[in-house]
Amino acid sequence: MHVFKKFTLAFALYVALVTNASLSFFLHQFFANTGGSNLLMPIGIMLIALFDDTNKNEIWLSLCSGIIADLYYFGIIGIYTISLPIICWGLQRIARFLPEVFWVRILVVLLTVILLDSYTWMIINLVGISSISVTKLLTSIIPTLCWSLLFTIITYKLWDVLASNYPFMVNLDNYKQ
Amino acid sequence: MKKFLQNKKLLSVCIVIIIAFSIIGGSVSLRNNRNTPLLIQSFGNDIVAVGTRIVNFPISIVSGNLNSVYDLLKTQDENNYLKSRVTELQQTKTRNQALEAENQQLKAALKVKQTMTDYDTVQASVISRSPDSWLDLLVINKGTTSGLQKNMAVMSGGGVIGRIVETNAASAKVELITTSDKSANRFAVEAEATNGKKVHGVITVIGSNTLAFTQAIDAHKLKAGIKVYTSGMGGNSPKGLLIGSIATTTHDTFGLSNLIKINPAGELNDPSIVTVIKRKVAE
Repeated sequence: MHVFKKFTLAFALYVALVTNASLSFFLHQFFANTGGSNLLMPIGIMLIALFDDTNKNEIWLSLCSGIIADLYYFGIIGIYTISLPIICWGLQRIARFLPEVFWVRILVVLLTVILLDSYTWMIINLVGISSISVTKLLTSIIPTLCWSLLFTIITYKLWDVLASNYPFMVNLDNYKQ
Repeated sequence: MKKFLQNKKLLSVCIVIIIAFSIIGGSVSLRNNRNTPLLIQSFGNDIVAVGTRIVNFPISIVSGNLNSVYDLLKTQDENNYLKSRVTELQQTKTRNQALEAENQQLKAALKVKQTMTDYDTVQASVISRSPDSWLDLLVINKGTTSGLQKNMAVMSGGGVIGRIVETNAASAKVELITTSDKSANRFAVEAEATNGKKVHGVITVIGSNTLAFTQAIDAHKLKAGIKVYTSGMGGNSPKGLLIGSIATTTHDTFGLSNLIKINPAGELNDPSIVTVIKRKVAE
């Protein structure tokens, strides 16, 4: 069973992915009325990158998560496949200079959410799978930030424990004496 | 140019951007042109769909209980309304049976086996939705194993809500009729004008998720309240599926052509159970 400990984070992201899809369906009325997006799984990647800034394997994990999420949510590759590894890499670099404080991390996650939302808007308009006006993008940012703030606060401790105790593809037993 | 080629970082970034856009373009092309997704994609989608069903189970119990309380509160009003419709329903049912029997006899006499109005149905449950409210995509719990195919019409709440855009073994993606996807297939529709003649056209989306009856000749003969059905001319859906009713008939901003807005009949906001329509007659 020790072998599977290395993949706990990957399994947790899979659960986040399916929970994200389920919540999008059950809470659709709330998301649709406000125009916000459900970014539960990408927020997980952001928090993992902020908590564990030294593990390069997590960039590969975010790439795989991005491919699976893209195919399931959008049916095309390129939205999360490209953005999530870049976010993971960028946040790992930023995390080295940032104070390890709850509110600072929340602020960084919210800023990244704005970038991710804008990137998603750009790609879906570019490939033509949806035509969304700039006004709609701007009006969706505030509700997306509110939902993201809620999801970040709820899952903050969980990702902290997982990223610290079960880093992806790293056997912590090797470091114990 | 030489300077650019010597700057390895800049060159790498350019190559990555080119590769990224090639992947996006390739996957969009695959999505639009292939009838079934790649095996690996189909497998991945089904794995996530299974997980979604497991997660849905506890959430649906909580959600179901809340809905039950809400339903209980409006039971009396609903009961009064249904009572008023029961007599009418029985009469319509008897008439439909008589018409169906007559229709079959006429078809047999003319040796017509199948027409555009013939179809089979498959019931499915919605298991998830696109996380972005910008995309009108649903995932249902039936796939190719239940005989579903790309472009089949999907109904919910008495009207058409969209069509299937991707089929996996145990799940399928449904794109809603209100999508602003430029490459989406549109429904060929017809409506009976005030003079009794059929007016044919296509359903398109204008503005923010508003349906419109376009490409119609004699559109000025259509009035508010007239029901719009699929015509079966598109080759994918059968004839006679209800799309909605005409809300308003106005002119476009240039005042040249008619702009006919449609109120969709289907449950587009919160469809939990859908019916997939399998057209019997070939294209």
